[in-house]
Amino acid sequence: MGFSKSGKDSFILDVSANEREVLINLSGQVIEILAERVDAATTDPLAELIGITGHDSPPDDEVLMRLLPNAYADPVDASEFRRYTESDLRGKKRTHAMLMRSQLMELEDEKLLIDSHDAMAWLGAMNDIRLALGVRLDVDENSHEKLELLSPDDPMHAVFAVYSWLGWLQESLVLALMQDLDVREP
Amino acid sequence: MAQVEGEVEELTNPLFFVDRPWVTVVWDDPVNLMSYVTYVFMSLFNYSKERATELMLLVHNEGRAVVSSGRREEMERDVARLHEFGLWATLARDDQ
Repeated sequence: MGFSKSGKDSFILDVSANEREVLINLSGQVIEILAERVDAATTDPLAELIGITGHDSPPDDEVLMRLLPNAYADPVDASEFRRYTESDLRGKKRTHAMLMRSQLMELEDEKLLIDSHDAMAWLGAMNDIRLALGVRLDVDENSHEKLELLSPDDPMHAVFAVYSWLGWLQESLVLALMQDLDVREP
Repeated sequence: MAQVEGEVEELTNPLFFVDRPWVTVVWDDPVNLMSYVTYVFMSLFNYSKERATELMLLVHNEGRAVVSSGRREEMERDVARLHEFGLWATLARDDQ
């Protein structure tokens, strides 16, 4: 299960119908939350054309703040950088999530073949989902034990299970990619 | 034809001063996987597995690590690429 190397620059994902649904749903949620940020921007057609958004203040939402973090500790530098780059960053994250989602939606059986270009998008998309779930679960260095002990009735129990599974899935792709690099090195 | 005068030395010094390096800092994050962070360093910066692993461990153990240095524009590009892949990165002047 998970990702494995299938040949030169080729990786295969073994995914059950249920897992596929979960991934489609979660990537859709990331796309939605990024879109909320777009909708809130003041739209000046000229500014939009050259990639400047109305956003120069950090997002209020904690998940968005983790997906679109400040680049500088200094708030003035941070907002200047955000004004010129946030729209591009949002677009890239959206592209990653869309690629993952559309490949899964087109999938007719339980095996998906991707190349290393797709793999980077998949890594980014899976990571964004994990970051979002991590914020919702309030994950910190010491919270794993606490989250593992949650009662099965606790709604967060299921969220944590998905979060852990996604970490495992992401790691399987990282290991397959590293194996590919080892093979390519002289 | 222009003649180079003795002031060249004085002129270049402040230029170098303005151009002193900036650094990209990656901060520890409880969500990002150690293997993933290593792989991101390898693929974005073309670092060897050894160098990337060393930097990842520095982030993990010390809470932060300088992963690249250079001109401000270059560091802004590095930070943007790290953000694209969900790492928590900032840039700052080298002396901070």
